[in-house]
Amino acid sequence: MTTAPVAKPRTYRAVPLPPPANMLQRFFTTIMPPILLGILLVLLYWWTRAQLEPHRQFLMPDAWSLWTNAFALPEVRAELVDRALVTITIAVVGMCISIPIGIVLGIIMFRFHVMERAFFPYLVALQSIPILAIIPLIQSALGFGFMPKVLIVALFTFFAIPTTLLLGLKSVDRGVIDLFKLQGAGWPVILRKAGFPSAAPALFAGLRISAGLAVIGAIVSEIFFLAGRGGLGQMLINAKIDFKYEQMYAALIASSALSISVYLFFAWLGNKLFSEWHESGAAPT
Amino acid sequence: MTAQALTMPPENDPADTSNARSETGTADAPLSFNHVSMQFPDGTEALDNVSLALKPGEFVSIVGPSGCGKSTLLKIASGLVKHTAGTVDVDRNHLGYTFQDATLLPWRKVMPNVELLMELRGFPAAERRRIAKEQIDLVGLTGFENHYPKRLSGGMKMRASLARSLALNPSVFMFDEPFGALDEITRERLNDELIALFMRQGFTGLFITHSIPEAVYLSNRVVVMSRRPGRILDVFDVPFDYPRTPELRYAPEFSELCGDLSVSLRAAIEN
Ligand SMILES: Nc1ncnc2c1ncn2[C@@H]1O[C@H](COP(=O)(O)OP(=O)(O)OP(=O)(O)O)[C@@H](O)[C@H]1O
Ligand SMILES: [Mg+2]
Repeated sequence: MTTAPVAKPRTYRAVPLPPPANMLQRFFTTIMPPILLGILLVLLYWWTRAQLEPHRQFLMPDAWSLWTNAFALPEVRAELVDRALVTITIAVVGMCISIPIGIVLGIIMFRFHVMERAFFPYLVALQSIPILAIIPLIQSALGFGFMPKVLIVALFTFFAIPTTLLLGLKSVDRGVIDLFKLQGAGWPVILRKAGFPSAAPALFAGLRISAGLAVIGAIVSEIFFLAGRGGLGQMLINAKIDFKYEQMYAALIASSALSISVYLFFAWLGNKLFSEWHESGAAPT
Repeated sequence: MTAQALTMPPENDPADTSNARSETGTADAPLSFNHVSMQFPDGTEALDNVSLALKPGEFVSIVGPSGCGKSTLLKIASGLVKHTAGTVDVDRNHLGYTFQDATLLPWRKVMPNVELLMELRGFPAAERRRIAKEQIDLVGLTGFENHYPKRLSGGMKMRASLARSLALNPSVFMFDEPFGALDEITRERLNDELIALFMRQGFTGLFITHSIPEAVYLSNRVVVMSRRPGRILDVFDVPFDYPRTPELRYAPEFSELCGDLSVSLRAAIEN
């Protein structure tokens, strides 16, 4: 007889299914945490502000003066809307350049392996150049108009598009490609009917990243280009020069709102397009 | 049901079991491999001088050790892989091929998935829909036309994949371990359904499996292949009449044949 090592059985109890969450529980588990954290942040802001010497408290306006000196003033509201439109236009036009070029480059790199070899190092290089550092050069070359800002946005947003698309295209199931080939389908058909649909979720992840960067790029470019009637970035600088810190905060809030809504738009669109079939698109619980 | 789908059931003439290893492709063989050898670019020898001719309406299964080149043989027949010696005779325009996994397009519902091959062949939309509906009914997926693949069970995915190939009404149909990943009961049920389809559509079948009972239950002949590089070691004739019924699985002759095959396959694996 072998001597088996002495085992000490432990009892594991069954875990009964929890009753379905009611409204109140759901409120506490999903909506409460961000609200609580929000309150905490407001308290932190308020506390930090209290630490400032009174003559420096302008750096952190309180809610009331933010309202009376910025959001309540019709001319400030109108300015916010105008400038947000300028900023979003720059961001969107920039993406209208980077997205198609990025997609075409992604396809070329996928189709011709040589092209991937050729382009990829430069894409990575582009990603690692601090784009801020070449803004002065762009100004010297292209002046201070609309196009240089658009170009900056395009540079900010370009990288994520060809790389995510290529990744997606490369992960198309081999069996699916064989299936198409057996019916004599050429690569344009394979690309359209197998490549794009299966790469789309990855591409959309890239687009979400790019969209957030587009707004950031637009605002950064405006901070460098103060001539003419600019967008929110210019408003930030003007507010500083004019010592209107409430308006600066208003511009800040508007910029974040813009960035978040662009991100949410792409997240929503992606979810709408892929949630039914893609693994990542499981219905929210 | 189309008239086409009601073609002759496969012939099953017990006298017609003569020379399994035909040395040359017979003129009337819908699929024949003649001295086919395969060496991959990396030097791997996958197949060694394989000759096999399928008679019209015949159902042949291949069993063999894992990695012996069975899938490669089907890929060669379909043209996905180019063989390096010998010849293959087949009409690739009427060749059906189901892969080991269902390979459904996850972004398409069942209906458009079943339509895919017809779409690639340029069938008009209305005809596509009609045929797809027919095939979906035939494989028992009625009611699931609008489900995405991720909501289907493994067996249902395989049925959809079968329906997709059947839609082109192939005259030669190759199956690469289609039911390998399924539980025994589902597999047996799908075997019966496959036999029903086989009798109804009248194709010539080449079927790869690791299950000896499955091979015997489905086929007119069972081919045993050696370890890599794959050679044909043995060919067993299966004398039972179609349609085959589940009771056959418990018949003594059935068990005896399975036993013989088992011995042969074990020898193939051990040598
Ligand atoms: N593209 C390839 N390059 C090199 N070797 C390959 C390639 N494809 C397959 N092989 C090799 O050829 C042999 C036969 O492969 P194959 O897929 O035909 O085996 P199989 O009999 O279908 O095995 P299984 O029963 O496990 O599916 C294997 O040893 C495999 O490693
Ligand atoms: Mg295989």
